[in-house]
Amino acid sequence: MAGSLTRGGGPGRRAGLVLAVLSLALLAAASLAVGVADLTGAGILAGSRIPRTLALVLAGAGMAVAGVIMQLVAQNRFAEPSTAGTAESATFGMLLVTLLAPGAPVAVKMLAATAAALAGTALFLRVLRAMPLRARLTVPLVGIMLGGVVEAASTFVATRTDMLQFLAIWRSGDFSTVLSGRYELLWLSAALTVLAYGMADRITIAGLGRDASVNLGLDYRRVVAGAVAIVATITAVTIATVGTIPFLGLVVPNLVALVAGDNLRRSLPLVAAAGAGLLLLCDVLGRLVRYPYEIPVGTTMGVVGSGLFLVLLLRRTDRHA
Amino acid sequence: MVALAIALAAGPAAAEIAVRHARGQTILPGVPKTVVVFDLAALDTLDALGVPVAGVAGGPKPPALARYNDASRYPRMGTLWEPDYEAVNALGPDLVVVGGRSGPRYDALARMAPTIDLSSDPADMLGSDLRNIRTLARIFGKEAQAEDRIARIEAGIAALHARAGQAGTALFLLTTGGRMSAFGRGSRFGLLHGAFGFRPAAPGLDAGIHGQPVSFEFVARTDPDWLFVLDRDAAIGVQGRPARQLLDNALVRQTAAWRKGQVVTVDPASWYLASGGLRALQTTIDEIAAALDRAR
Repeated sequence: MAGSLTRGGGPGRRAGLVLAVLSLALLAAASLAVGVADLTGAGILAGSRIPRTLALVLAGAGMAVAGVIMQLVAQNRFAEPSTAGTAESATFGMLLVTLLAPGAPVAVKMLAATAAALAGTALFLRVLRAMPLRARLTVPLVGIMLGGVVEAASTFVATRTDMLQFLAIWRSGDFSTVLSGRYELLWLSAALTVLAYGMADRITIAGLGRDASVNLGLDYRRVVAGAVAIVATITAVTIATVGTIPFLGLVVPNLVALVAGDNLRRSLPLVAAAGAGLLLLCDVLGRLVRYPYEIPVGTTMGVVGSGLFLVLLLRRTDRHA
Repeated sequence: MVALAIALAAGPAAAEIAVRHARGQTILPGVPKTVVVFDLAALDTLDALGVPVAGVAGGPKPPALARYNDASRYPRMGTLWEPDYEAVNALGPDLVVVGGRSGPRYDALARMAPTIDLSSDPADMLGSDLRNIRTLARIFGKEAQAEDRIARIEAGIAALHARAGQAGTALFLLTTGGRMSAFGRGSRFGLLHGAFGFRPAAPGLDAGIHGQPVSFEFVARTDPDWLFVLDRDAAIGVQGRPARQLLDNALVRQTAAWRKGQVVTVDPASWYLASGGLRALQTTIDEIAAALDRAR
C-alpha cells in the first residue's frame, strides 16, 4: 500500500540519501576536528568532541524528524514543534518544574516538559480541528499564536520569579557545555526516531487526513496520538538537554520533500541525516566565527534557517502546501 | 570643586547639595529624608553608613540586606528593571537613586523626584565605585565614616595587587543554568584583573561587558592558575546546576587551578548583586585575599 502511495522521487531520493550521508560524515569529521583544546590532549576526543558531535547528530536528527511528523499530522508544510506550540509548552513545563521542584533530576524535568508539550500540541490540533478553513498559512499562524500565548505565560511567571535568564537559556540551543555524561538523554530521541520509522507508513496515511485514513482502515486517533507523543518527547528531551533549536524542523523536511516526496518511510532516513548535517554545520560555524569563543547554535541556526526558509517560501509559492 | 563653587555661589541657600552623577547634575534642596533606592550597590553603601532608606526595589537581595525584603517596613517600589512609579509617587521621596540595572529608568524617575544615577563606569570600575560611595557619603554628611572604610578598601586593594601579580593567571567564569561565560578586563567583573591585578589567563577577553560564551575546552586550553567562579543562580536564589558540579569534569580537572585547589567560588551577592557597594567591595577584597592566603 505504501508503495502505491508514493511512487516517484526514487532516483532523486537515493542520490539525496547518498549525498546527505556523505555530507553528514564530512560534517561530523569537521565537528570532531574543530574545537578550542588540542585534539590530542588527554580526554579531549572522548570526553568532549565525540559527545558534542553525537549530541548534535541526535538532536538534529530528532528535531528534523519531529518536524516532518508534525507536518504530516497537521497536514501542513509549515507546522513544526516551534510553530505548533509544542516547543513553547515544553519550555513552560521546564519552568514550572524548576520552580516547584528545583532539585529534581533532569529526567523528571524532562517528563514535566514532555507532559506540557503533549498538552500544548493536543490543544493546537484541537484548535485546528475546530477551524472551518485551513489555508496554507493559517495553520502555522494559529500555532505561532498559541505558542505566543504560552510563551507570554512563561515570561510572566519568569518575571515574577526571577527566572528570565533560565527561560532565555531554554529558548536558545547551545552545545558549548556538552560533555560525556551530560547529553545522554538525547539517545531517547534516537530511540523515538526509530519508533517513528516503525510507524512511518501509518503516519503517512494519517497525513492524508482523517477521512482517507478511516477509509483505509487506520485507527486515526491512535496513530495521531502516538505521533504527537513522539514529537512532544523529542522536543522536550532536546530542550531539557540543549535548548530550543529553531527552524530545523521546518526547513529540513521541506527540503527533503523536494527530492524524496512525502512517504515517511522513504524520506525519514534522509530527513534524519539532513537534520543532523544542518545542525552540525551551524554548530561548527558557531565555533569558528568568534573562535575561541562560541556563538550558540540557536543563533547560527536562526540565521541559516531563516535564510533557507525564505528560499523555500519564494520557491514554493506555486505549490499547494 | 565645581560643586563647591556652586554651593558657595548659592549663598544663603547653602544647604543645597549639588550632586554630579552619571547623567549630569542634580541639586538637592537639603539632606534628603525620604530615600528610595533602585540600586543594590547604593543600598549596600547606605546601609553600611547607617542612612535610613524609605523604599527599595523588590527582588533578590544580598544576605546582609535581607531585611529590606520586609515589605511592611520597606514598601516595594517595583523591581530594579521596572519601577512602580505610582508607589514612588505615593511615597514622595526627596531622593531616588538609580544605577546599573535601573539606570535606563532615570528620565522617568527624575520627572517625579530628585534622582541621581550611580551606575559604574566599566572603563574605570573601582574609580567610579569609590566616587559613588563618596557621593552618597557627602549627601548624608557621612564623609568621615566613609573615608575610614575607603582607606581600608584601598589598603586591601594595594596589598592584593602586590600579591596577585605573582599569583599566576586567572580566569573569571559566570555559570547559569548549566552554561557558562568568561569575563575579561573590560567586563563587569574586570576588577579582578584591573584593581586586583591578576594576570588574565585569556588576554583576548578584553572586549565586551557581558562576557563570552565558552566551552570547557576553552577552560582547559586557557589553563588558568586561578579560576574564579560566580554562580549566578545562587546569587538570585534559584537552584540551577551548582557551579561546582558543572565544573567538576575531566576537562576542568586538568587545569592548574583545579589541581592546585585554586578554584574559588566567589560570593555571588558581592560580585553580582551589590557589586561596587561599600560593604560588597570589602567582602570581595577579603575573600580574594583569603584565597591567596590559603594558596600559600
